[in-house]
Amino acid sequence: MAYDDLRSFLDALDKENQLLRITEEVMPEPDVAAAANAASRLGEAAPALYFDNVAGFDNARIAMNVHGSWANHALALDLPKTTGTKEQVAEFINRWAKFPVEPEWRDNPLWAQNSVEGEDINIFDILPLVRLNDGDGGFYIDKAGIVSKDPDDPENSGKQNVGIYRIEVKGPRKLAIQPGPVHDIGLHLRKAEERGEDLPIAITLGNDPVISIVASTPMEYDQNEYEMAGALRGAPAPIAKAPLTGLPVPWGSEVVIEGVIEGRKREVEGPFGEFTGHYSGGRNMPVIRIDKISYRTDPIFEHLYLGMPWTEIDYLMAPNTCVPLYQQLKKDFPEVQAVNAMYTHGLVIIVSTEKRYGGFAKAVGMRVLTTPHGLGYAATVIVVDEDVDPFNLPQVMWALSTKMNPSDDLIVVPHLSLMELAPQSDNPGTGAKLIIDATTPAKPDNRGNYGNQVRDLPEMGEWLTKLQQLAK
Amino acid sequence: MTTKTTKKTAPTECPRCGHDKLDLIHTSPVAGVWEIYHCQQCLYSWRTSEPARRTQRDAYPDSFKMTIEDIRNAVELPVIPPLRKS
Repeated sequence: MAYDDLRSFLDALDKENQLLRITEEVMPEPDVAAAANAASRLGEAAPALYFDNVAGFDNARIAMNVHGSWANHALALDLPKTTGTKEQVAEFINRWAKFPVEPEWRDNPLWAQNSVEGEDINIFDILPLVRLNDGDGGFYIDKAGIVSKDPDDPENSGKQNVGIYRIEVKGPRKLAIQPGPVHDIGLHLRKAEERGEDLPIAITLGNDPVISIVASTPMEYDQNEYEMAGALRGAPAPIAKAPLTGLPVPWGSEVVIEGVIEGRKREVEGPFGEFTGHYSGGRNMPVIRIDKISYRTDPIFEHLYLGMPWTEIDYLMAPNTCVPLYQQLKKDFPEVQAVNAMYTHGLVIIVSTEKRYGGFAKAVGMRVLTTPHGLGYAATVIVVDEDVDPFNLPQVMWALSTKMNPSDDLIVVPHLSLMELAPQSDNPGTGAKLIIDATTPAKPDNRGNYGNQVRDLPEMGEWLTKLQQLAK
Repeated sequence: MTTKTTKKTAPTECPRCGHDKLDLIHTSPVAGVWEIYHCQQCLYSWRTSEPARRTQRDAYPDSFKMTIEDIRNAVELPVIPPLRKS
């Protein structure tokens, strides 16, 4: 069953015992973030958290850690909550093949129940904002799907974008945003600023769980996120026209904030504890002016804690980073078996592949660097044999232990493009990248003393099933 | 859980940069529990009920402090592109 809004998904989590309601009174800080930080330390079946008794607020509802475990991620895709990581990635690949699925325009959007405009806006009246980490420069919105269009081609729905970018609240109707130059919204803003214009945007908060997944998927520039949501949901994504900007927004959002990124304006922002597990900020970044807020009665503020991995963001961006890379590599190199890009949004990428001939694995590694996502990530690429499961880190370590000769199998490429937030970069925007060839050399590459590899016994699979049944 | 640490007096300096021009931008819907202030210089925002390490200049970690030079030298991201020639 596809969820059309956040509330129906929270109900489903509740039924599956994957939602913990915190009923005692908590302080906005540090309790809400500290609890979400703790939830991410509960492991792969951690629950979402729901707060409705926050000191000083009379009507606050805050949902945290909604995607913050493999169990919740599985439920977001309407899979059993025990579905394993590799199986979730495989299912993601199957559903991706159905892309594109046209969205459905639906009347009477849920967020149209209330609205406020212009000078009457005070975002603090509507959202129970809380700080996440000690060094954050303010209160952030970090799980909103932000909608914008290509100013040079506004009728092209493929080039429109729904993406999650960090937003700092700077005043009752003033925000800051981080549109990285390699991101789609960065391209939209660049075009608007070249034209001397503001960029209209709609910030959609509290969405159905698949919208958050597609909004954090590194899709290609001309791919429509709503059409991907339809493929992943197995049903068209319900959307509606935002009243002020006309931008297409989710029908079921809790809150829709409309306004503009003010063209050619920058102001100090941050810092903010980022998905890299490090703070970034103290930089001059674009400013948003809010012109209208529409919201459901008693809106739920969905928020995301991020810090030293793993936290919710690592689950949210795990399969959805693996799958586009897998698709892009597979297109050129059908020998590719699987891609694990789950670590820090693909700063490390592990690829398993068959070898066409000697040197092939290194070519696959180099191709990773030139994929759209690899341009900004892929600081380290590890290539392993086809029989190594890249999601099984002990197996990957075995490949590194025995298949990699440091004199020939480590390739450092200096000064490539690398996203600004990568802490290890030479300077923000570029850095060296490493390809590790941890595959068995294929002819005519005769290096090493490999002889015969020990394989699982042919009868092992049968025994595995038998033992699993006996152990039940 | 953390106990309430409501400050009874308005802050006089920004915990992060020490600036003394502060805006009160919000007060708790339940009266008297907390207020939110915003520094006009470094744009830091905080709630008065937050721990001292976020609200008091002398307890604010040095590694998070910001100076006027930091603000002046802040990197622009993304860089503002040249206007197109019409």
